Amino acid sequence: MSALATLAPALALAAPLLLAALLVVPRLRALVARAAPLAALPALALALAPAASAPLELPGVLLDVRLGAVDAVARGFLTFTAILWLVAAWSAHAYLGDHPRRAGFWAWFLLAMAGNLGVVLAGDQVSFYLWYAVMSLAAYGLIVHDRTDAARHAGKVYLIMALLGDVLVLAALLLASGGGDNLALAAVPAAVAASPHAGLIGVLLLAGFGVKVGAVLPLHVWLPLAHPVAPAPARALLSGAMIKAGLLGWLRFLPLGELAQPALGAAWIALGLTAAFHGAVVGVTQRDAKTVLAYSSISQMGLMMVGVGVALTAPAAAPIATLAVVAFAGHHALAKGLLFLATAVIGPGLGRLGRALLAVGLGWLALELIGAPLTGGAEAKHALAVVTAHGPRPALVAALLSVAAIGTTLLMARTLWLLAARVREPAASAGPPPPGLWLPWAALVAADLALRLRDASLGPLLEPGALWKATWPLAAGLLVIAAAAALARRGARLPQVPAGDVLVGFAGLGARAAAFGRALADRAERVDAGLRARRARLDLGGRLARAGRALDRLDDGAARFGVVGLVLAALFGGLVALLAGGA
Amino acid sequence: MTADLLPLWVLLSSLVASVAIFGLSERRVATRTAINLVAAVVKLALVAVMLWGVYQGARYEVRVAFVPGADLLLRSDPLSLLFISLSAVLWLATTIYAVGYLEGAPDRSRFFGFFSLCVASTMGIALAGNLLTFFLFYELLTLSTYPLVVHRGTAASLAAGDRYLAYTLLGGGLLLVGVAWLHATAGGLEFTVGGALPPPGDAAPSYVACFALLVAGLGVKAALVPLHGWLPVAMVAPAPVSALLHAVAVVKAGAFGIARVIYDVYGVRLADTLGLLRPLAAVAATTIVYGSLRALTQDDLKRRLASSTVSQLSYIVLGVATFGQIATVGGLVHLVHQGLMKIVMFFCAGNLADELELHRVSELDGVGRRMPLTMAAFTVAALGMIGLPPVAGFVTKWYLGAGALDAGAPWVVGVLLTSSLLNAAYFLPIVYRAWFGVRREAWPPPAGRLEVRPTLLGPTVVVAALALAAGVFAATELSPLRWVELIAAQEYGP
Repeated sequence: MSALATLAPALALAAPLLLAALLVVPRLRALVARAAPLAALPALALALAPAASAPLELPGVLLDVRLGAVDAVARGFLTFTAILWLVAAWSAHAYLGDHPRRAGFWAWFLLAMAGNLGVVLAGDQVSFYLWYAVMSLAAYGLIVHDRTDAARHAGKVYLIMALLGDVLVLAALLLASGGGDNLALAAVPAAVAASPHAGLIGVLLLAGFGVKVGAVLPLHVWLPLAHPVAPAPARALLSGAMIKAGLLGWLRFLPLGELAQPALGAAWIALGLTAAFHGAVVGVTQRDAKTVLAYSSISQMGLMMVGVGVALTAPAAAPIATLAVVAFAGHHALAKGLLFLATAVIGPGLGRLGRALLAVGLGWLALELIGAPLTGGAEAKHALAVVTAHGPRPALVAALLSVAAIGTTLLMARTLWLLAARVREPAASAGPPPPGLWLPWAALVAADLALRLRDASLGPLLEPGALWKATWPLAAGLLVIAAAAALARRGARLPQVPAGDVLVGFAGLGARAAAFGRALADRAERVDAGLRARRARLDLGGRLARAGRALDRLDDGAARFGVVGLVLAALFGGLVALLAGGA
Repeated sequence: MTADLLPLWVLLSSLVASVAIFGLSERRVATRTAINLVAAVVKLALVAVMLWGVYQGARYEVRVAFVPGADLLLRSDPLSLLFISLSAVLWLATTIYAVGYLEGAPDRSRFFGFFSLCVASTMGIALAGNLLTFFLFYELLTLSTYPLVVHRGTAASLAAGDRYLAYTLLGGGLLLVGVAWLHATAGGLEFTVGGALPPPGDAAPSYVACFALLVAGLGVKAALVPLHGWLPVAMVAPAPVSALLHAVAVVKAGAFGIARVIYDVYGVRLADTLGLLRPLAAVAATTIVYGSLRALTQDDLKRRLASSTVSQLSYIVLGVATFGQIATVGGLVHLVHQGLMKIVMFFCAGNLADELELHRVSELDGVGRRMPLTMAAFTVAALGMIGLPPVAGFVTKWYLGAGALDAGAPWVVGVLLTSSLLNAAYFLPIVYRAWFGVRREAWPPPAGRLEVRPTLLGPTVVVAALALAAGVFAATELSPLRWVELIAAQEYGP
């Protein structure tokens, strides 16, 4: 194995970190902004390289961290993660323009990139946790980039939930480790399976990574708040790449293939399906395309949870379930990332040709996400459907998955409708979007389309059964839309659920919790005051103070401390002399 | 000068400096500074030599008959070297900081004289080879710190000084009774790896009572609830004194003493058998949560930091009081980690107060733009306190958590993680205000090229880098973690 192959993972991580470090020099900042897309290239090269890379061990660094070998899971995640960061960095340059805080944006952006890539490349528990935390915290800087009240609120909700998740993850890692050893990730599933706390670990992981995944209700509330306020490239990255890190956490730490945990698996499947429907139902009531897309992410992550649940239930199916989940994640990452990026391209300044091209691109992406016949989405959903056959109640789950696709159809229609309305808005700032913004988007959509045309494994998708499965939810969805349109013409209006849905209820709960916290703190204050009062009654301090003041009066003036000090030093010197004499 | 006398030289280096400075007139700034720095560097060099020797297996010992049945004894072992190295490094940093911080202030001879005396006492505490010697230096530390606490001479600092003396003298009294009683029960009691006490036999109740007395006496300085009341009040002292109280000397002397009593007097196995560890762990856990809760509501920055110290110190006690090698590692290594991180925070508070007269958390909006390096250092320390890698605090939490699970006490993990969240809840608002807060009017511009005087900025940044390095290079040969693993392996040895 050549030295380059061993060092490749380190290089992939070092690239964004080095660029971030260069930001310290003001003169280099413009250069960093230009070079940012390149920072994803080593990672992309690593993902696409034919040779497997060896793990890189860094003994001595932070409990002996390792960068893992690029296995199938890492390769899948690395591919879509690197592509998405590359495209987002490319378009962020145009998106930011001459924004006064662009240097700060790039700092958070590059740190989050390193964190995201690091999570994929981590080879041991501690480095996974390290990069996961780096990504979590850096994403905060991206969310609050605009510094509006909405952004600050979303950032606060995000950060509180992310920290809560991190803490639960740490508890799970400690339980999995057992004796404090920093386990290699490859050894973790077996260790968890052998642990007496396997069930508890599962629950901690469900909630801990669930915060990031966004499909574990009610831990999803940060997601619909954070997506609309974050800058477009960050939005694309959150949904496309960063929430997938939670999913990767499950794949890395759950005892998949080692231990059957039917109860946990059922919880995963049930929660996943709930999120799939919840996202669709709440999502269609939204008035902002970005929020609709965020709810669509909740819904889609729910589908991926089903795959994880099946792997938990049936260890024998774990390998194919894992691969199906990774493929689904990659498909969703690109489609959703591009849809989010499109929200920045679209505006009233578009020309006729631009609109037409955008319509084609958006239509294709929507069909992808719905899983319309022959798309990559259909392939991903087909793989997932095959997997569910190994899990509990296969017929019911499969049927529900298809129904969820109706929901996706509705969400996509709603998105396109809202985006189309944006084009018709009166132009506030005339002029077409800069090429730096739409070019990366168009390039990737074209690449996606071309790749699809070139190497689609159409065989299984062309079977009548599969074809029907992919078509009917789309058709049903279109029917629902037609009905809704008719109703809308008669004046019916959708009720709007506030973004963050149950958070509104939580807010009351949160206020109560805060009040409770304050009461607790007051209580502590009172206990302290009580202790103070008791001491005051004893008046030990007072007596001592009086004694001290009497001493003060004895020898007033600045010299008094010098004298006392010399006496003390003499005492001290006496001790030392004694010691020296005896030695 | 023979190598055997090394512990004595370490003591003398500060003592001589102290005497020389007391005798110096107030105006001889350059001489005083030179003495301070030379003493700090010489001590660091001596400690380095001793560290190398102990690492090679050497033990240095100075002994003299004092009272019948007990000698004055200075001895260097790995545990004492852990404390001494920390104090020597941080003392140098604090001296440089103090020279800058007190520039132009009155009564500096007095200040630096006691400052050196304070560190000399700390060295004595660390090197003490038996309980009697420990006690003597422990009391000297109390007395030599008092003038530093009341240095400003204001009503508030005099009140704080009274409070400090009341608590610590009470603690000293309890400690004395405990030492004497244990001495009468079991004899000389030199610190011995694995424990010095003979099997209790009928004396078990006395053992338990003595333990309670000793820990109560030490718990005052270690700020165990409900003996912590002096610490948040004492924050009125100047920033370098806070650093001394919270990181280098005073609170550490308490925590270190508790470790000595458990491991080298009772022996961890005997302490466990007698059922002494569980109650202490419970007190420590209570203190951890209580200190954090109190920190949440403090707007005064130094007060918030002080409440946080109450909480963080008990990590050490909790680790030491959990039976198991891994937990011991977590507890003892926090002796170093907490010192590094907390001293950075107090340096930062000092920088903010000195440069911009900022004392409250609510005034810190946007201060990151004016003092980026200071706030970067603070951010590193804060993330470490929360327990995020790669800062040193993560290593502590990892070992404490794993140790608790290993010892069959999973509730400790719950306490640790609750504390993590609380730490985040009171430290992140500071970080948030500094970097994301908006300030309408402009900051007063810095006088020089740097955001604050180099004598203040240098120690802040360097120690923050050390806190980071202690985490990043935790698994290398000369890290605090490895050193502590060595100690723990000996204490739990066959």
